[in-house]
Amino acid sequence: MSPLEIARLALRNLARNRRRTALSLAVVAAGTAALVVTAGFVRFSFDGLREAMIHGGLGHLEIADAAAAAARGAALDRPASPALADWREVRRALEALPHVTAVGANLHLMGLAQSADGRSVSFVGVGAEPDRERRMGFEVRLREGSDLPAAAPAPGADAALLARGLAESLGVRAGEVVTLVATTPEGTLNALDVTVAGVVTTGVAELDTRFLKLPLASAQRLAQTDSVSNLLVGLDDTRATGAALAAARAALAGRAAPLAVTPWSERAPFYGQVRDLYLGIFVFLGTIVVVLVVLAASNTLVMSILERVREIGTLRAIGTGRGQIAALLVAEAAWLGALGALAGAALGLGAVLGLNAAGLRMPPPPGAVDPIDLRLALVPEAFAGGALLMILVLVLAALLPAARAARLAIVDALGHV
Amino acid sequence: MLRVSGAVREAPVFRVEGLTRSYRVGDADVRALAGVDLEIGSGELVVVAGPSGSGKSTLLHLLGALDAPDAGRVFVEGRDLATLGERQRTLLRRQRLGFVFQAFHLVPVLDALENVEYPLVIDGVPRAERRARAAAALDSVGLGERMSHRPDRLSGGERQRVAIARALVHRPRAVLADEPTGNLDSGNALRVFELLAALGREHGATVVVSTHDPELVARAPRVVTLRDGRVARDERRPEAVS
Repeated sequence: MSPLEIARLALRNLARNRRRTALSLAVVAAGTAALVVTAGFVRFSFDGLREAMIHGGLGHLEIADAAAAAARGAALDRPASPALADWREVRRALEALPHVTAVGANLHLMGLAQSADGRSVSFVGVGAEPDRERRMGFEVRLREGSDLPAAAPAPGADAALLARGLAESLGVRAGEVVTLVATTPEGTLNALDVTVAGVVTTGVAELDTRFLKLPLASAQRLAQTDSVSNLLVGLDDTRATGAALAAARAALAGRAAPLAVTPWSERAPFYGQVRDLYLGIFVFLGTIVVVLVVLAASNTLVMSILERVREIGTLRAIGTGRGQIAALLVAEAAWLGALGALAGAALGLGAVLGLNAAGLRMPPPPGAVDPIDLRLALVPEAFAGGALLMILVLVLAALLPAARAARLAIVDALGHV
Repeated sequence: MLRVSGAVREAPVFRVEGLTRSYRVGDADVRALAGVDLEIGSGELVVVAGPSGSGKSTLLHLLGALDAPDAGRVFVEGRDLATLGERQRTLLRRQRLGFVFQAFHLVPVLDALENVEYPLVIDGVPRAERRARAAAALDSVGLGERMSHRPDRLSGGERQRVAIARALVHRPRAVLADEPTGNLDSGNALRVFELLAALGREHGATVVVSTHDPELVARAPRVVTLRDGRVARDERRPEAVS
């Protein structure tokens, strides 16, 4: 009996008990749809978190002095010192590379912020170039006031964006003046009065209590340096990170003071942790789905065999081989898996499109500030993988009952009531 | 397509020696056959008669390689079934034997033509050839007009005729029919029996029918009567009408 004949007969057999077959198909379809929807949520979460981190301040690539980068050790998120003196030349070289939208210089500061009424709060600050950050797609989440001006401010006209927790601690609003005190690279203290241009959120509650941003020129005046801590490279597509990394390393090779070029993924251990957590949850849910499908499908397959013991005996009597009987029963399971998965893929597609169209929102994730939109990605691998998994699971669930059916004693089977 | 090989020419189609077979029913051993010796030649029509529990079905199961004896030997076309492996016994049933059962045992999801075609499907006969042979077999049992009917749309007599066509479509050397008329009224029973006899003659096949219907027994040219698992009588009646 050819595989085609077996497949044809197996399909016919599924039509014997339409209600039971429909129920089994529904279970498989629901399982497949659950996998598709969960994978869509996980993928969207990964992608959203990745892009939020890149456009929230990481950039796609970071260029820093190699020695300074090595010295920062486990504190991967920012270099320790303003060690990049010839950053303008480096920037020119990098901005000529494909996929690069802009290269922004950053100067990192830590110090004390003081309001006019004498309240002091320690801050973590960054001097940045607003015009380039806009070209890189960096987000500024303003809660009041306005963004930093694109042009470098003249001395005495310095401004800053304060994260809302910091602004609340200082008791200041947009338009008021705070004094920033920081240590210069030489170890002396310097102070700078800045006007609060706006109040922002970083999206991370903890960071909001300490963070401020000011124009690079202002930060350099405060730190009394022309150097910067690092350069952040923005790309037009995150998928081009690997190619851009190689191109940047090639462009910067052979310098006397070597530079470290680090992709965003190495500077975002949090992303890796979240990804591992989500994947763990996905595998856990997937396992539950598979177990449920196996239990439901096994019941169907065993019932289907028990109802046909006499028929199986007859087929064996008239010369059907044990392997042919087993193959027939396994093919029935494979059909259940394939048809159920097909229905599940359609169901999953509908669920993804429907949920996306519904515009639902989810509460802020742990540590985040804003609620997030519930969006699901369409993941082709989840459709294909879910379908294959269902077929495989059904086939595996059928192997034992099929083998037992094939080994039934013919005479006992013929006399089965 | 694999073929059964090793048949001994001119050997009787069936020969059994000292056949015994017991079954465990609850706590008791029931001896179905208690030393049966029998020889059935090529082209014979033999009725195995006897009351319920006399061992008729057990004998047919053993002749058809559906079961194995506790003691004794079964030879089919000269081959000792004890020497055949599972696969060879399957091939023997598929290619050399045909079966008809009391409860018809047709595959409910297949129509009449597909049911008859089935033995050829499992034997790898090309589609066009098997369709033609199955259609001819159905014609020969008078069901040429009912080919596309599924078993649930056929009467009992028609179902048994489909089963007979299925038993003969692969041109077996012998057909074993276990109480083939047990579920039929007397008119249909007689027609089915006569059909089996006629088609057996036409195909040159040996036909062994178990029954306790006296009307059929009266028409058989050879009647082997079993009682308590033994051959009580082996009567040849050349004048019988079938």
